[in-house]
Amino acid sequence: MTRQERRKRLAGLSFSEKVKILEKLRRRSLAIAASGLRRKSAGGVRNADQDSRPA
Amino acid sequence: MKTTLEMINRMQGDGVIGKYAIGGAVGATFYLEPSATVDVDIFAMLPKAGSSSLLSLAPIYEYLKAHGCDADGEHVVIGEWPVQFMAPSDVLEREALAEATETEIEGVKTWVMTAEHLVAIAIRTGRPKDHARILQFLEQDAVDTEKLNRVLAGHGLIAKWQQFKKKYRADTND
Repeated sequence: MTRQERRKRLAGLSFSEKVKILEKLRRRSLAIAASGLRRKSAGGVRNADQDSRPA
Repeated sequence: MKTTLEMINRMQGDGVIGKYAIGGAVGATFYLEPSATVDVDIFAMLPKAGSSSLLSLAPIYEYLKAHGCDADGEHVVIGEWPVQFMAPSDVLEREALAEATETEIEGVKTWVMTAEHLVAIAIRTGRPKDHARILQFLEQDAVDTEKLNRVLAGHGLIAKWQQFKKKYRADTND
């Protein structure tokens, strides 16, 4: 499956299913932020909170 | 999210807020593939307090605090989600609220701004993350172009739209 096909498939899910994915993504972002991995990967130059705040 | 929306609907039923709609990244997810976000943006009509013409978010925070929710900066944490409440600040946002689409999440009724209003608000706001989201809407054919043009024209956003297209979509015929 190409990236475009995968995006189309995800966009076609029900809102409830998409929100469940949003919740998983949010928990993952919070776990990564809490672990400090973002800070390490950014070399400590940028603010870790800003790095972990997706658009 | 179910718990979050149940509490917001309860607050609406109790008259603390009027009509509301989900905007921002969660609203965009109604039309697009999910993309990570840390909060939920809720645009809500607020009843005016007494004879004052000023609108205040204080009743929302007081209501939610009384129902066990904690404030976290500009957000209130309801269930798992930090929620930012905003009163519509202009005609575009009031129109977006009035024309919001009714839907359900896990059996809970809610409202989401139309794709065209989400794009128009993003054009007006104009941050890089707003532009990235607009590109997603366009790439996935998730907007009605005629309706979008009407909304943009109605709110004086055509010039900003042209600038956006020149910057990001010079190679297309949109």
